[in-house]
Amino acid sequence: MSKPRGVAEERDPSTPDRAGASRWLHRLVEPPVLFTGLAVLVLAVVWVATLNLIARECVAAERTAAVVAADTAQTYEAQVVRALREIDTTLKLVRHDLGHAPPQKVLAGLRADDLLPPRLLFTVSVTDARGDVIASTHPATIGSENYLRLARIDDGMVVGKPRHPVGEGEARLSFGRRIEDAAGQFAGVVVVTVEASHFVSGYDPEVLGERGLLALVGTDGVSRVSRTGHAEDTGSIIDYEALFPDTALGGMPVVMAVDGWDDVRRYTVARELYEFPLAIVVGLSEAESLAPLAALERTYLRRAALASLLLIAVMGLLGRLSWQLQKARLGVMEERAEHARRVEHLAFHDNLTGLPNRALFSQLLTRSMHQAKRYDKKLALLFLDLDRFKLINDSLGHDVGDELLQEMSRRLRSSIRESDIVARLGGDEFVILLPEITDRSEVTPVTDKILSAVASPVTLLGQEFRLSVSIGAALYPDDGEDEQTLMKSADTAMYHAKEAGKNNAQFYSGKLNSDSLERLTFESSLRKALENREFRLYYQSKQETHSGRITGVEALLRWQHPELGLVAPMQFIPLAEENGLIVPIGRWVLQTACRQNVEWQNAGFPALSMAVNLSARQFHDEGLLDDIEAALSASGMAPELLELEITESAVMRDMAHAVRVLQAVRALGVQVAIDDFGTGYSSLSRLKEFPLDAIKIDGSFIHNVVDCAEDSGVTEAIIELGKSLGLRVVAEGVESKDQVDYLRTRSCDQFQGFYVDRPMPAHEFIAMVREHSAGAEPSP
Amino acid sequence: MPSRLTVTGWSVVLGFMIDSACADVVVVVPQHSPVERLSREQVMDIYLGRLTRLSDGTPVVPIDQREGSTTYREFYQQYLGQSPAQIKAHWSKLIFTGHGQPPRSVADDSAVADAVSQTRHAIGYLDPDFVDARLRVVAVE
Repeated sequence: MSKPRGVAEERDPSTPDRAGASRWLHRLVEPPVLFTGLAVLVLAVVWVATLNLIARECVAAERTAAVVAADTAQTYEAQVVRALREIDTTLKLVRHDLGHAPPQKVLAGLRADDLLPPRLLFTVSVTDARGDVIASTHPATIGSENYLRLARIDDGMVVGKPRHPVGEGEARLSFGRRIEDAAGQFAGVVVVTVEASHFVSGYDPEVLGERGLLALVGTDGVSRVSRTGHAEDTGSIIDYEALFPDTALGGMPVVMAVDGWDDVRRYTVARELYEFPLAIVVGLSEAESLAPLAALERTYLRRAALASLLLIAVMGLLGRLSWQLQKARLGVMEERAEHARRVEHLAFHDNLTGLPNRALFSQLLTRSMHQAKRYDKKLALLFLDLDRFKLINDSLGHDVGDELLQEMSRRLRSSIRESDIVARLGGDEFVILLPEITDRSEVTPVTDKILSAVASPVTLLGQEFRLSVSIGAALYPDDGEDEQTLMKSADTAMYHAKEAGKNNAQFYSGKLNSDSLERLTFESSLRKALENREFRLYYQSKQETHSGRITGVEALLRWQHPELGLVAPMQFIPLAEENGLIVPIGRWVLQTACRQNVEWQNAGFPALSMAVNLSARQFHDEGLLDDIEAALSASGMAPELLELEITESAVMRDMAHAVRVLQAVRALGVQVAIDDFGTGYSSLSRLKEFPLDAIKIDGSFIHNVVDCAEDSGVTEAIIELGKSLGLRVVAEGVESKDQVDYLRTRSCDQFQGFYVDRPMPAHEFIAMVREHSAGAEPSP
Repeated sequence: MPSRLTVTGWSVVLGFMIDSACADVVVVVPQHSPVERLSREQVMDIYLGRLTRLSDGTPVVPIDQREGSTTYREFYQQYLGQSPAQIKAHWSKLIFTGHGQPPRSVADDSAVADAVSQTRHAIGYLDPDFVDARLRVVAVE
């Protein structure tokens, strides 16, 4: 995968950038990034839009306020000017008529003609040059220096300062024009008086709110009247110039000002009136004008916040769901991968020990062989088979066997290097692969290590076991250049090790190979051996320990192979056990032994007991009793003389059945002995349950009985046990006089072994007996 | 000062008495006027300048009294439920904004009787003592 990419990079230098970009893009669509990004983006849009909207509304609101202020000012100006003109018209009209009639009459006439302003609001008076009222629409009107002083010097309309009438009432404004006599001298004033509030009665709270401003200001800086909400004020001193700043708002004659009346900021419009010494001021409270805006702003912000929360919640939810989905997907993938790993492990490993199995080992071996070939190296293949494992497995059960196998596999693993491979082929068979070997001599230390590791005792169920292993070694490429050949070579070497007495390692050699090739034809020749009469019985004597008298004989099977010569039973009995040939062979042994015994008796020899070995399979064969009876009746031998020897393991396999068979055998009068006693781990306590006549101590104990305290202890214990159970005790494999003496002092009943004789054919045996009895006769 | 308060007090008491005695001030029209009856709202609208023609198209010309008179105060209190100051503010605004002119006012009850009887479509109010043959009292409901 990396190679094509490398090629592509050479071809197109921009690829790394593109790969980076694509990786970046890939990261971008990952849920946490994607949803956070989207959320931030949408949030940004929402808030920018909201703030923008608010800013626009703000501008619009300011503009609206300015427009309203300007409009209101225009209207107000027009209203004020009209009111003033009406007043001025009245002044002029009265002044005009004064020349034709007395003042009071003039006023009455004008009133009658409805030419005066409504008397409800307006008072029209005439004063003389001193200021005393000489005529008025309202009685008790008093003149005022306020306007009089102005009218004396001013030719136009004068506007008095706001004055409260004597006594009580609202502040009033007076407007006056001077009257001149015929000589042009000041002769009095025509005055129109009206309540100051009249000029701010147009205040409309719907337009100006509660904090707006309407004001009429004199150019002299004295406010004539002003109104804010329902509050009116008259006579304040105003900074007149400040009403007309240079700057204007939004191209309109509107300014933002803190007016002189109070501290309220207002959109303010001030206009000087044409031809009157007055100005109007209109103000719109900024706070009130923008109050709807503030409410709107709050609404917008609340909506944006709500939308944001909603968005975050939705994105959070989506993100969470997506994350969970991804996690679940990842979990499923991991589970699947884990399952695949487990399946693969199961397929390629041994369940019990966890070691590679045959299939995996085959792969590893092939690979190692390839490497060895490539680097011109050797490798070693070791075939291992635990000795006597089958026995343990059969007698103690599979659980114990399994535990032993696990322990052995641990030991094997710890005996080799990390780079070496141990595998279990099945049963008690293991293989070890030692790669990178240059010489055969490098293998021996490994096999030694393995042998000693396996040999150290194992404690299971409170019992101590000693195991051993037989190892066959084969080298690649010397002993095989392909897997099959190499495996076969190692297997052959292993069998060789077994034959060489177990608990050792053997290298493969060409000779071994030919042996094993012959073994392939073994089975077919074994099948023919019976009908070809190739089996022979050899006989070995049993002597009484205390007298040295020959009291019995053991019949031993031999195969006289036409090409191989004499074949020992351990070389073909396992095969015969396996294929069932052991049953007819055993039958033949029984018949032949019985017949031989009777023959010897007929020839005048004393009656000897005849021991015959029964294999496990024979022992469990249903026809056993019939076979025994047939042999006895055919030969006419006394049943007491026949002694059947059975191995411990054969009995232990199925105890209930074994007891039944043994009872039936003894019912015939036949004797029963346990062979190889002490090797089968049988529970001594069970021994008494068996109907037995004798036990035979295994030769392996006798071998060192004199030198080894352990073996002698075992031997003594067996003898004691046999005695206490009332059994005859026989020692096998006796090779020396010391051993005989030892057995004699321990009161062992009988013995057999090379010390007396080797197993031999019938005629040799009977000659030996004759000699022996001749030699023995002198001694009692 | 005390005397004014007493007057005011009496007038209030009087006002209540009149109110309970079912109207001392009466609304009048010329003898031959087709107007038979008016609602209280109509009277109110006429005197606030909102109504210049009745629903049948007959014009109405209200005649007012001077604002200082007792009959004036009683009339506005009784028929319009408003004080002289409120009436004044009302007209001040209307005049200032150019939306109306107050009714023509005459000096006293007898002047009202004269003015109403001499003016076509006139309507006025006065003390019942001043009602004469030229006038007809209008029922106000």
